[in-house]
Amino acid sequence: MTFRDAAVRDFPPFSTDACIKCNVCNTACPVARVTDAFPGPKYVGPQAQRFRGPGIGSHAPDHTVDWCSGCGICTRACPAGVLIAETNSRARATIVAERGSSLRNRLISDTDLLIRLGVPLAPLANFGLRNRFARWVGEKVLDVHRRGPLAPFARRTFTAWWRRRGGATTLPATPDPARTVVYFHGCAANGFEPDLGRDAVEILKRNGFTVIVPRQECCGLPFISNGLYDHARRKASTNLASLVDFARAGYRIVGTSTSCTHAIKAEYREMLDLADEDARVVADATWDICELLLDLHDRGELDTDFAALDEPLPYHAPCQLRSHGIGTPAMDLFALVPGLRAADSEHDCCGAAGTYGLKVERWQIAQDVGAPLFAKVRAAAADGATRAACDSETCRWQIEQSSGVPTVHPITILAESYRAASRAT
Amino acid sequence: MPRVDVAVIGAGLAGLTCAAELAERGASVFLAAKGMATTHWTHGGLDVGVAPDASTPREAARRLAAIAGHPYAALADDLEPAVTGHLERCAAAGLDYAGTLDAPLVPVPTAIGSLRPAAILPLAQAAALEPWGDDGLLLVGFRRYRDFWPAYAARNLEAGEWSGGPRRIAGVEVTLPGLEGLRNLNGQSLARLFDGATWRTAALRAIAAAIPAGTWRIGLPAVLGLLDHAQAHADAERILGARAFEIASLPPSVPGLRLFEALRGTIARAGGRIQIGFDVVSVERDGSRVAAIHTEAASRTLRIAADAFVLATGGIAGTGFRAGHDGTIRERVFGLAVTAPPRERWLAEWPLEPQPLEEAGIRTDANLVPAELENVRVIGTALAGMRYLDQRCGDGVALASAHRAAASLADVARAEVVA
Repeated sequence: MTFRDAAVRDFPPFSTDACIKCNVCNTACPVARVTDAFPGPKYVGPQAQRFRGPGIGSHAPDHTVDWCSGCGICTRACPAGVLIAETNSRARATIVAERGSSLRNRLISDTDLLIRLGVPLAPLANFGLRNRFARWVGEKVLDVHRRGPLAPFARRTFTAWWRRRGGATTLPATPDPARTVVYFHGCAANGFEPDLGRDAVEILKRNGFTVIVPRQECCGLPFISNGLYDHARRKASTNLASLVDFARAGYRIVGTSTSCTHAIKAEYREMLDLADEDARVVADATWDICELLLDLHDRGELDTDFAALDEPLPYHAPCQLRSHGIGTPAMDLFALVPGLRAADSEHDCCGAAGTYGLKVERWQIAQDVGAPLFAKVRAAAADGATRAACDSETCRWQIEQSSGVPTVHPITILAESYRAASRAT
Repeated sequence: MPRVDVAVIGAGLAGLTCAAELAERGASVFLAAKGMATTHWTHGGLDVGVAPDASTPREAARRLAAIAGHPYAALADDLEPAVTGHLERCAAAGLDYAGTLDAPLVPVPTAIGSLRPAAILPLAQAAALEPWGDDGLLLVGFRRYRDFWPAYAARNLEAGEWSGGPRRIAGVEVTLPGLEGLRNLNGQSLARLFDGATWRTAALRAIAAAIPAGTWRIGLPAVLGLLDHAQAHADAERILGARAFEIASLPPSVPGLRLFEALRGTIARAGGRIQIGFDVVSVERDGSRVAAIHTEAASRTLRIAADAFVLATGGIAGTGFRAGHDGTIRERVFGLAVTAPPRERWLAEWPLEPQPLEEAGIRTDANLVPAELENVRVIGTALAGMRYLDQRCGDGVALASAHRAAASLADVARAEVVA
């Protein structure tokens, strides 16, 4: 019944005719709020869209659309159901297809490559990431801001750990889709935060699930954000091919990165034109891990033996999580942990937006977007918080770097509480 | 998602206010809306009503209540506590108002130089309510800001009838510092500049320097700060050495953004949750009760189960209703019956006349319960029987109905706890 029906989600620019030019998206845009370079989602979106298309040529009034960070807040603000951010992402991809992309954008989007290079060389690579001279060189040569939030590489990937312990990677001989889940670790839990992957597996097992970790690549979101749709489609196709048999057999696919899971749920279809039956089956089977745990709880099936964690915890719901339309499940789960005093940041965007906040010409914008959030996290730290929580990795790294307060995934908090409960018994 | 006491659908003045009051009364509340609503487009004052020969909002509401089927007929006792509660709630969030239900309705200037009746306005707009005496009105616009043209507004005000208005009206355009290089100047970006104390002082000094000799009251576009707006307005009057008032202009409406933020923050502080951006796509019914609503999501849907549901999705203009080609009108979320004039009488002959279709809405009992569903309350412009543009009663009905719904549902929640 809404404008956001199936046809529109398959091709978001269709929705732009529903725009009533009310400016609400412009009031909600965190980027337009802090920079004059971006005229706001209305102008580059529904208004500019009519000047785009076959035969209009490569000089469409489009270049400012590239200042969009892709946070998706405009789409959610729109009362008319216009898929603004999705339309703008496609416009950016058209520009990139016509005019090409920088080496920088291709490199920072290719997280699989970065992990393949960085993890074996972790001591050296991490020295470089911490070294001010190396970062200065990186800024001059690659246009990656010297203070852009880059997480250190893990010494060993999650998948290496999984293989070594003989973890399942294929469909089980005896199907049990009710008590088995497929884990989509994403690049963060694989190459940068493998402890998060291990915590996720531990929590899922504690709640009676067998975990399978099939072959997977980067979800492709960094490529989507940089307009490199062909690269993103290759990643997406690989993942869909790997995941579709599980989805068809009724297995749920659960991820610890709300960005990756949102890409699989929505962006494969809305941006990459992957709207075939396989993509739909996989999207329907995909869950954010907190969403899944809360669903268990709604059914009375979650292990609620949480030990007390007596601490204040500032929590930031990332833009990508909010685009899931699943509420803020981490906050509901935190409420189950005795003593844990989680407080929602009530701030819209941290500014990082994946790779946006790394780029030398956008770093300041990203900092300005997130500044009120960083101030809130710092204030919470002054009031006794020792860490913050956030569901998406680049947001975590941005908050941690810019506030100085360690920032973890909600799963890390829950796993700690579970472990403390196990020790107590 | 955990079950809540009340799910509110819609994020306009009615939905936000009802969610805030429910949360303040201790209910667990989830507010779901398909997008932002009308706060961002409106002037930020409270329109309680106008009626022939009514000189105050209270009198106007009483006259409107005498119209058969008007929402005020059932909300007579709710208006006073609703308006008082709203003004206190906003004040606690740093957004002060002037005026009461018994303040005189007086004409105040608009951005295009017409007049509209007002009695209750945010403090930053309130100087326009005071008797003009010997004061002249100086409208000040800013060069490169395209949504407020002081000379145009002044000319229209001069040409129109303004009984009790200022003796002199003039318009002046001021160049504010540092705007030359900016390409995307709107009310919101100006308001953010006015949030900064240093720029604000420099800008206000530039305005002060442009004020001609004489006693003036200064009308400015409503851009004096988004977060630090109370201080910005106080600074304006201090530095300009005159009473100053804001005039809302084209969207984005800065006074509306302030109002939205005051109510959003109130709900959050009281423990309520808000999710904006996802429409209701299905409803689980259990006989004459609603068990849960489902909102759209990236995959599947979000199930929101609640004891009661408040429908605040607006009327025809607010897209709460959908008209079919056969001339039937249905409410979009629950499929409630909509009372409307016959199709051939929907529209008046001229666009700016009162439109009969505006009266379309949902009929309820005195507790705002529709005939079909016993645990639903209907509030705001979804209610039948008013022409809120013509009667200027939209804000008053929104607040009064939100208050009635919150009070009746909080009583239900309390009774259950006691039982």
